[in-house]
Amino acid sequence: MKTLFHILSFEWKTLWRSNTLKVLLLVVFGAGIYGIYFGKFEIDKQEARISQVQQYERQQFDSLLIWAKLDTAIVENKEKYQQAVFPTGVGWNKHFTYYLTHEASDAAGLCLGQRDLFPVYYGFNVTDLARQVNTGELANPMKLLTGNFDLSYVFVFLFPLLVVALIYNLYAGEKEGGTLSLLQSQSTSLRVILFSKGLLRMLIIWGLAAALLILGFLLQGISLAGNEQLFTQWMLIIFGYCLLWIVIMGVIVWLRQPSALSAMLGLGVWLIFTLIMPALLNLFVLANEPLPNRAEMIHAVRTLNDQNWEQSKSFVLDKFYKDNPQFNDGDTTNFNKWYYASFSLLDKEANTSKAQFEEQVNKRNALLEKWEWLAPAAMVHEKLSELSNTDRNSHLEFVKEVHAYHEGLKELYYARIFSDEQFSIEDLQTLEEKL
Amino acid sequence: MLRLVIKKEFLTALRDIRLQVSGGILIILMLTAVFVGRQGQKQIQEERAKAQSVMYDKWLNQGNKHPHSAAHYGQFAFKPKPVLSFLDIGLDNYTGISVFLEAHKQNEILFSAAQDSNGMTRFGEMTAALILQVLLPLLIIFLTFNIFSKEREEGTLKLIHAQGLSMRQLFIGKVWGTYLMVLLIFLPTILLAYLLLDQQSASLDSGVTTKFLWLTSGYTIYFLVFVLLCVLISAFAKNSGFSLLTLLGIWITSCIILPKATSNLADKVYPTPSQFEFKKTIKNKVKKGIDGHNPSDVRLASLKKEVLDEYNVETIEELPVNWSGIAMQAGEEYTDQVYDAEFTKVENIFNLQNRLSEWVGFINPFLAVRHLSMALAGTDFHHHVAFAKAAENYRRGFVKKMNKDMEVNHKPGIAYGDYNVGGEMWSSIKPFNYTLPSTGSILSSQWRSIAALAFWLAGLLMLSFIYAPKISKL
Repeated sequence: MKTLFHILSFEWKTLWRSNTLKVLLLVVFGAGIYGIYFGKFEIDKQEARISQVQQYERQQFDSLLIWAKLDTAIVENKEKYQQAVFPTGVGWNKHFTYYLTHEASDAAGLCLGQRDLFPVYYGFNVTDLARQVNTGELANPMKLLTGNFDLSYVFVFLFPLLVVALIYNLYAGEKEGGTLSLLQSQSTSLRVILFSKGLLRMLIIWGLAAALLILGFLLQGISLAGNEQLFTQWMLIIFGYCLLWIVIMGVIVWLRQPSALSAMLGLGVWLIFTLIMPALLNLFVLANEPLPNRAEMIHAVRTLNDQNWEQSKSFVLDKFYKDNPQFNDGDTTNFNKWYYASFSLLDKEANTSKAQFEEQVNKRNALLEKWEWLAPAAMVHEKLSELSNTDRNSHLEFVKEVHAYHEGLKELYYARIFSDEQFSIEDLQTLEEKL
Repeated sequence: MLRLVIKKEFLTALRDIRLQVSGGILIILMLTAVFVGRQGQKQIQEERAKAQSVMYDKWLNQGNKHPHSAAHYGQFAFKPKPVLSFLDIGLDNYTGISVFLEAHKQNEILFSAAQDSNGMTRFGEMTAALILQVLLPLLIIFLTFNIFSKEREEGTLKLIHAQGLSMRQLFIGKVWGTYLMVLLIFLPTILLAYLLLDQQSASLDSGVTTKFLWLTSGYTIYFLVFVLLCVLISAFAKNSGFSLLTLLGIWITSCIILPKATSNLADKVYPTPSQFEFKKTIKNKVKKGIDGHNPSDVRLASLKKEVLDEYNVETIEELPVNWSGIAMQAGEEYTDQVYDAEFTKVENIFNLQNRLSEWVGFINPFLAVRHLSMALAGTDFHHHVAFAKAAENYRRGFVKKMNKDMEVNHKPGIAYGDYNVGGEMWSSIKPFNYTLPSTGSILSSQWRSIAALAFWLAGLLMLSFIYAPKISKL
């Protein structure tokens, strides 16, 4: 134990005197800080958009509340009043556009994941959701392609390179520097010496990772208290990932090859794990399992919509009453009832066809997941984005919320439309609570 | 003498087991990327072409109905998968692939592959571009990092010099020897890729051979740039270790770190507007007029007056033509005008962002070749916009035709449901046909990248010319 300590402290002194180590650590540390800053910048931008949308929704609803109390004796007020209390709105203007936003989780700024591919809010009225969610956020595809320089990127891509750079010449460096025979002449075995050197480097790498992670939490304003579990999970994944690389480099050092070859081998493994394997998996799965043609979903909806308009009103209402007997008053001629019933049918059709496509897509993704272990970098990145709720599933959960919210709105709207009633002030207040 | 040096360099490289292994891996990857990628391209293109024709059939067989209902029924446009896209997938996974075209609104191009896949997509796809842009330079580094220092360490440099070979000749010899080795890997595989091109897809693009030749030349220059850079650095590095570290540092910075940092920076310098603002602006401008003083009801009233005056009648009922058809078309055209202006704004912002990254090509040749390659493969932003515009023009065309028919033939007094047209009308709309941008337009949009590559080549040749004689023999 004493020898170990002795070697560690001696090695630390030598390392600390070398400029290479300082430069390397500084570069990775700098990249980490930039990553933290960039992640925060992106999330702040999304948050700004979210609050812009929420404010807009609030303002619009406030005017609605004011309009509902207007004196209709004044002619100019009539249309506004109607807009506020008619569940169907006035003319082609629907009653109200609601916005549901996908709030970022605390750690989202540390790993932006797939969040930039999807809209962070949906705006929709009570008509069919199917034709209102086919939208995205404006984004330069070039930026989506190059991806985000966030902290997770630094951990997943740059840390392994740091490991390679610190360890590749553990043995060869001594040999090429002519100090190997000196070491071999010591009473401590060479294996112990090399092991302690490796151990020290591992501590340095872990130390840097921990420092960046803590800074990441602090600088992004994520309080550590209350997020202990999140922090520990991140820490364990990062430590484990670094350890994996240290073990790989250990094996390469154990081969006792010249330093240039060891460096190349290390870099080779890095290429395989972070670049080649994921790219090959994508080539085989993405390029050769074409995505289902989702335009079919839109086609199914428009075809039904076309029929709804071409056929008599009972074509829609008969179907609708069968699914929703509570609204069935035998009326098959009312325009508004027919109009809103047909939206409901469109959503039903869309959901059936969507479920089918989701299943196909899931099958394809399951195939990717099955082979994910071949690409540990991708696996770790996916894990981190899961932790940060920035993966694809988190978006799908949000879409489910949107559907549930829309269904919830429909209850009150349809109840009023099918009983041919206006919204009362209480009704509007109920809707206000949902905002 | 020079020929001997070239031959010696070439043969040493060929006999080195490490390079045999890494070169072999590269060739295998390249072959896999080409074969599997080409298969994928063909399959995707076939599916999209099929979807396009199936949807057109639906349009033809939609039955008899009012032309305006048909405009609502709408059509689809599918983005063809360019034949060279398997060499460089570019933005293809991040841009939508189809768009629904209907009356009154410009829909978004939807369903990008990235949205339907898990995080793995973000790690890129194994295409020739990835291998040629990122991996092959690494091989060049392995070939050259000790190309001088090894001779120096073994003392052969002095011997060669004593034979009467100037350092400049030696430098040229080493560059050529390495470059030939690189071309030996590159040219046969890329030629094979050309021979394998899916003829069906190739027939859609008459410029495919020219584009392919430009693509090949672009890469040929990129490799020469990289070889010159590496040989120069290793000639002046104090030892092999230092030279390897420097070259790897350059590689990591230019291929891994800089591209990401550049596009992140571009988004900061030219902020992307939000979809919310974009849509709100369009809605407001349509409602209140482009200048804010020409609201839609005023516009409608003045149009009405104009039409009534033209036909010299007092009321809409007296018009010999259908007022709704006229009003609707006028509405379409006004919205189109607003939409075009706003869309162009966004397009310009994205172009500025991408241009910044093209300019950085003068600092980082990787970015130059990346932009050029993407553009020639038909998978860059320029191509996406070209498709979006073609689809939108097609939409305008058929919607206008439907409105015109309504204006002329749907006589006043006849109920909406009583005026129907059928198959003849639908087939008068030709299927959506999109031709890829020409080589000329691609090259002119990419002049910065081409200039950057030329700049690098000229600069390095000049540096070599000046510094090669000064290479130390010791």
